[in-house]
Amino acid sequence: MIRVENLTKRFGLMRAVDNISFQVGRGEIVGFLGPNGAGKTTTMRILSCFIAPTAGAVTIDGFDVLRDSLEVRRRIGYLPENVPLYADMRVREYLEYRGRLKGLRSRRLRARVDEVISRCGLGDVRRSVIGVLSKGYRQRVGLADALVHDPEVLLLDEPTIGLDPNQIRHIRELIRGLAANHTILLSTHILPEAEMICGRVLIMHKGRILASDTADNLVKTIRGSMRVVLEVSGGAREDIHRALTSVDGVVGVSAESTGEWHRFACACDAGADPRTQIFRMIAGRGWLMRELRVERTNLEDVFVSMTAGEKVS
Amino acid sequence: MRTFFTIWRRELAGCFLSPVAYVTIVIYLAMEGWIFLQSAIHNEGRHETLEVMLFISMLFFVPILSTVICMRLFAEEKRLGTIETLMTAPVTEVAVVMGKFAGALTFLLMVLFPAVGYLFIVAALGPGIGALDSGSVAGGCIMLALISASSVAIGLFVSLLTKNQIIAAICIFCAVCAPFFFKHLAIMLPAGMDRVVATLAIEEQVLDYARGSLDIRPVVLHLSAATFMIFSAVAVLDSQRWK
Repeated sequence: MIRVENLTKRFGLMRAVDNISFQVGRGEIVGFLGPNGAGKTTTMRILSCFIAPTAGAVTIDGFDVLRDSLEVRRRIGYLPENVPLYADMRVREYLEYRGRLKGLRSRRLRARVDEVISRCGLGDVRRSVIGVLSKGYRQRVGLADALVHDPEVLLLDEPTIGLDPNQIRHIRELIRGLAANHTILLSTHILPEAEMICGRVLIMHKGRILASDTADNLVKTIRGSMRVVLEVSGGAREDIHRALTSVDGVVGVSAESTGEWHRFACACDAGADPRTQIFRMIAGRGWLMRELRVERTNLEDVFVSMTAGEKVS
Repeated sequence: MRTFFTIWRRELAGCFLSPVAYVTIVIYLAMEGWIFLQSAIHNEGRHETLEVMLFISMLFFVPILSTVICMRLFAEEKRLGTIETLMTAPVTEVAVVMGKFAGALTFLLMVLFPAVGYLFIVAALGPGIGALDSGSVAGGCIMLALISASSVAIGLFVSLLTKNQIIAAICIFCAVCAPFFFKHLAIMLPAGMDRVVATLAIEEQVLDYARGSLDIRPVVLHLSAATFMIFSAVAVLDSQRWK
């Protein structure tokens, strides 16, 4: 549905997007992850035909963003970052205006506006002036605008930024509910959000795509998919460190000390669970242990690992 | 074409939603009424018609009104970021520019022309004034409408170049006021050039039309200036995708 090939965007000497390629299939929800300045918004703006690429080809449903820009724009619903809205209009009036701009007329326009108002939970504020709405409602108005013409593709740039936890949950449920009939590309900073909503994740950094896979597969790709954390005392830190390193399945140990207690984090081989061996070894040597727990690697670790420039094996 | 009407309606409604609009209308009508009245009293017994006095005084408000109306056209959309939602909707650059132009021009004319009613009030109340020359009234209205169109087109174009409304306002005001100086500039220029520049002097154009003397050259001038600025605006808007 979305095909991006060798896309590059330069602003002066700076390469905001550097030769990226990816595809999003019909009905997929793909999360765009990356730190600030990674090039996510620039890519979104190119996909939505707001700015033109410097090089490369972008097609949506077979239509090129440069040659068939109007056709592309008919097929997309775009929610920009910061949700720009006309503060002087009322919610329903704004959605009707946007619907008309997107080609809806008379009965169909009214029906679609009614539907997005109810779907986005805007019934209570439909007569309110947008300027007085809270951030959460403004976000919903932006989403309703993106949905009003029932587009096949949704491009959502940070749809939950600045919302409180309840509002975030509502927007997430809404997006998940849209998955059945829409292809969705959403950019986010919030990693659990991408893990929860998206079938696939693209990690972007300094204009390049570092990884593209499901969240589970990405977690498996970084070494030590499980970490065991323990606190031990009764022995010298170096001795305990050496003993932990020798346990089967442990590939790396980091340590820190607070008084007489030493905290160790053991990175483990993929699939290995050395907790029993660690317990036996500590007990066998007569050391004391007050904590032994597992920390599973999540998307956040993958993200930090990749965007901090560490090597991924 | 439908999107053009949608944008036109939104622009016009946007003007009336702002309190600035009502303040502008009231201040303009009050000042225009006072200036016209003073001018009529001052020129009593002279060979100058009421139509000329009214349209010339109205002309001096065109730069101020067009600046107030046009400074926000694109500058505000850029400042708020709504240009992004507007340009990612399935609308052409021509529809956006024409819609905004038509909305701003309609609003300017709706603010400007109620003042023509003063003519009829003065004529009705003032014994001995006699009948108004409908040709002069129509001529004055046509010329003011044309000057308004070219001023709005210039304002629209300038507003596209910045997101700062103050900068937009200063630039629009300077650009729209420039034709007022052509009459004086013509005096300083060598023979030949002075006549060309003198034809651009908008006061003379309004004077001619308000006296009932019709000349096709100002019509062509203002229509072509408006068309040129509108197409330049379309080109600039299109080019901004490529920045």
